[in-house]
Amino acid sequence: MLSEVRFEGVHKIFGTETAVEDLNLTVNAGEFLVLVGPSGCGKTTTLRMLAGLERPSYGRILIGDRLVNNVSPRFRDVAMVFQSYALYPHMNVYDNLAFGMRARGAAGGLIAQQVKETAAVLGLGHLMKRRPSELSGGQRQRVALGRALIRQPQVFLMDEPLSNLDAGLRVQMRAELSRLHERFRVTTLYVTHDQVEAMTMGDRIAVMNSGRLQQVDAPETLYDNPANTFVAGFIGSPRMNFVPGRLTTAQGATAVEFLGVKAPLSSRAKLTADAAEGEVMVGLRPEDLMWRRAAAPESTLTISAEVDVVEPMGHEAYVTAVCAGETVTSRFPPRSGVRTRERIELALNPARLHLFDAHSGTTILQRPAAGGAELPRSVGEARIDEPAEGRSERHRQPQSRGMQSRTEEIS
Amino acid sequence: MSLAVAAGLGPRLDRERFQWSSLLMLSPALALLGVLFVFPVLYAGYLGFTNLALVGSRSRDYEFTGLDNITRMLGDYVFIKSSWLTIIFVVGSAIVGQTVLGMALAILLRNALVSVRVVIGSIVIVAWVLPEITVALVWYAFSQAGGTLSILLRQTDTNFLVTVPMLIVSLANLWRNVAFSMLVFSAGLRNLPTEVLEAAEVEGASAWRRYRLVVLPLLKPTIVTNLLLVTILNLSEFTLIYAMTQGGPGIETMTLPLYVYQEAFVFHQLGYGTAISLVLVLIGAVFSLLFVRASRSQV
Amino acid sequence: MSAVQARRVAAENLIVVPYRRVSVAALATNTLLILLGCFFLLPMLWMVFASVDSNPDWAIKLPTLTLANFADVLSRADALTSFRSSLILAGTTTVLTTVLALLAAYPLSRMHIPFKRSFMLAILFASGLPVSMLIIPVYQMYVSFGWLDSLYATALFLSASSLPFAIWLMKNFIDAVPVELEQAAAIDGASTFRILRELVLPLTVPGIAVTGIYTFINAWGAFIIPFVLTYSPDNQPGPVEIYNFMGSHGLFKFGDLAVFSLLFSLPVIVLYLFMSRYFSGAFNFGGAVK
Ligand SMILES: Nc1ncnc2c1ncn2[C@@H]1O[C@H](COP(=O)(O)OP(=O)(O)O)[C@@H](O)[C@H]1O
Ligand SMILES: [Mg+2]
Repeated sequence: MLSEVRFEGVHKIFGTETAVEDLNLTVNAGEFLVLVGPSGCGKTTTLRMLAGLERPSYGRILIGDRLVNNVSPRFRDVAMVFQSYALYPHMNVYDNLAFGMRARGAAGGLIAQQVKETAAVLGLGHLMKRRPSELSGGQRQRVALGRALIRQPQVFLMDEPLSNLDAGLRVQMRAELSRLHERFRVTTLYVTHDQVEAMTMGDRIAVMNSGRLQQVDAPETLYDNPANTFVAGFIGSPRMNFVPGRLTTAQGATAVEFLGVKAPLSSRAKLTADAAEGEVMVGLRPEDLMWRRAAAPESTLTISAEVDVVEPMGHEAYVTAVCAGETVTSRFPPRSGVRTRERIELALNPARLHLFDAHSGTTILQRPAAGGAELPRSVGEARIDEPAEGRSERHRQPQSRGMQSRTEEIS
Repeated sequence: MSLAVAAGLGPRLDRERFQWSSLLMLSPALALLGVLFVFPVLYAGYLGFTNLALVGSRSRDYEFTGLDNITRMLGDYVFIKSSWLTIIFVVGSAIVGQTVLGMALAILLRNALVSVRVVIGSIVIVAWVLPEITVALVWYAFSQAGGTLSILLRQTDTNFLVTVPMLIVSLANLWRNVAFSMLVFSAGLRNLPTEVLEAAEVEGASAWRRYRLVVLPLLKPTIVTNLLLVTILNLSEFTLIYAMTQGGPGIETMTLPLYVYQEAFVFHQLGYGTAISLVLVLIGAVFSLLFVRASRSQV
Repeated sequence: MSAVQARRVAAENLIVVPYRRVSVAALATNTLLILLGCFFLLPMLWMVFASVDSNPDWAIKLPTLTLANFADVLSRADALTSFRSSLILAGTTTVLTTVLALLAAYPLSRMHIPFKRSFMLAILFASGLPVSMLIIPVYQMYVSFGWLDSLYATALFLSASSLPFAIWLMKNFIDAVPVELEQAAAIDGASTFRILRELVLPLTVPGIAVTGIYTFINAWGAFIIPFVLTYSPDNQPGPVEIYNFMGSHGLFKFGDLAVFSLLFSLPVIVLYLFMSRYFSGAFNFGGAVK
């Protein structure tokens, strides 16, 4: 019973403020789609519209093939985990879990059995008699999850369910949620403002900003080919460096000038139609901007800079350096020994440049067709600073293959 | 997104819909309020300009008399005195007495030992939940010649309800109602961020300066609310004064609510009585407006 | 550091922690409060002492203990009927007001109602209108309806006069119940009726109790409304009876008067003490009036 979810041209306007603008988004049947964006960008509103708690100002929302705009939440067959959990404070854990089944008129024996099973899956068995006020944050979160899991809804909606937990528990619950989805495969729309959660849990990620959908893609694609400067800056930690550059063409060869260097673009790097000569925004991920001495041979560009701040992280160090008046961050090996005010040389693989329109911020490099590998992309090292223990590799194989051999791209 | 673009999308789909169930739930209250509140208010607005009487021919064949009742009031010595007494009562007992003592109690209780706080707080509140008639009785006893007050002041022959009647009824009213202001201010103080007080303490501000410069401005909305409610509640005080003095001696404690009652049900002048009660509402409205004005202008 | 040393350091720290300066300010605060407490206690104490005194006076004095006053009052028929009248009056008013206030406050808190803000302001304004103004037209109406001297009809007007504030109080309590709970229940598949019964009602119990008890305390002490709208001796509630008693033989029977008021005050005191922990929250007006 897998259902896809479609938003078609959905707007939500509160008073004079547009919380969601022209949202077109499909959550595939059985997919775990993460909706990510800074707080206030309209994620909760999107979720609430799908649940039926808020009516869209314009547009259509479909669950399966059913138009649900005018269907009350009660009949939408969705389950939702609220950011505040919204547990019934006067009922114990058992009654909280059983409430939905009772409301739908299930038989007593079935309810008891289902509650027991759900509680077992979530490790709540010994807490059945407690009220929400007598539970820890993690336990409450599990009850909220259990209240959704106990039903077999067509769609799961989760609104930042982990944001109230401490870091350790969050990592653990992340893995658990992925496991649960693996098991039940219910179409899930998961909201978070945390990019790590998004990268580790989502089959695909939808990035939102000020009510507008920015990009929807698989995590790697999103990371390697951000559609604009917002996505590029939002995903990845430390943040991508943005420096101004110039696009020039001489004798049929296109090149980018930035930070005092000139990087020729190879014939394989395809620019979009609206890419014009002149000012562009160049994006450099900190891990692509390496210490000369630790750099791989394909990092052919060298930039000279002066160290401003060194932040040791243990397994590596973030070095902020000033170069041609621009401040850039790069990832260094641990114990590099560089110090503030020291002059260093940074190495850069021109194949990993990101180019954006200087005004609109949209990328001017052509983005690959789904699954295609036309573009320069970074090679398979860990790109996010937390280990991806919760992340399932199930859908990612096609994309992580076949990129190993390409190294020479741009230059 | 501009509204023009929005307009191109056709009508809004999320216009709030009126639910008939809300009317269903509201209707019993609306019906009761309509018949026994709204209608009487409108009816009073009419009766105040008639010569309706409680008994006699005028009780049936009353008529609209225009501004007669108003002109009569302006020449009515008792009415003028009664208005002054009402204002004195409200300003003295409620606006100043109740607000100041209520705030003092709230602040003192906050800083007191737990046992003192619980016991004294409860006593003050019990004085407030007692039926007014009981308060009238105990204060009647308290202020009689030979009563506790006269013994405390070593004037056992003085009946304070005769010598200073307005002061005694004001005190009795303060005694009864101060708990209300105390509760309002306690809640207001509880809602202040604790850092505010602590910060002032760290900077070495004295307790008095701290309250005057930091707490009072923050409590301003609470103070305004308290003043409004207290004025409105006390303006219509009837039972306590009536049970203690019936407006006497002479007309020394004849505030407007008592005068309304006397004109209407003792002298049988329902029309004139209603007209006086409208003045009472007018005074309440003026006070309310003043408070709201004052609270807006100083921000 | 040895174990002994460690324990000594710990012990010294323990002494430091509970140490508190007995400051002049603290002393003054508590003394002042106790004095103020006496001002509030003295008049009440007279009633208690006089009620068990065989020879009471206007002043507080140590009583010559007796229960005769109690026996006297409890054997009086008018005292007992006044209790009955008060119960009917206050009970009817409380039930009616609380039920109507709950029914009205829920949609006012949760549903879209045109002109809701103006309506709430009107409600607040109405709760401030003096009863002295309403009583004359209502008296006129009751005369023409033939409703005079009926306890239930009197309770109806008492309800109408307490309803505005009760609605306002109740709405504040319902506003405090997170609307997300109801939304979660709706997503869980619960019908509106089930949400009201299993969620809203149990979570509003404190609000219902506070509104009910507040209404009861007011109705129990109500004087002018029954004073004007009832006349037969059997229908006089406690306050009117006590007032008549003060007028007729109060000057001779202090003891009976004290017992009467004491007995009549007990129910509201008990009710208040029972509910006091919920009450403090009800006074959170903040900037309610803007
Ligand atoms: N009920 C509402 N009334 C008015 N504005 C709202 C309401 N709900 C959300 N908003 C506004 O819509 C925007 C998006 O809110 P929300 O969807 O909650 O953001 P997010 O969940 O991404 O943090 C915010 O600017 C918020 O202030
Ligand atoms: Mg949110």
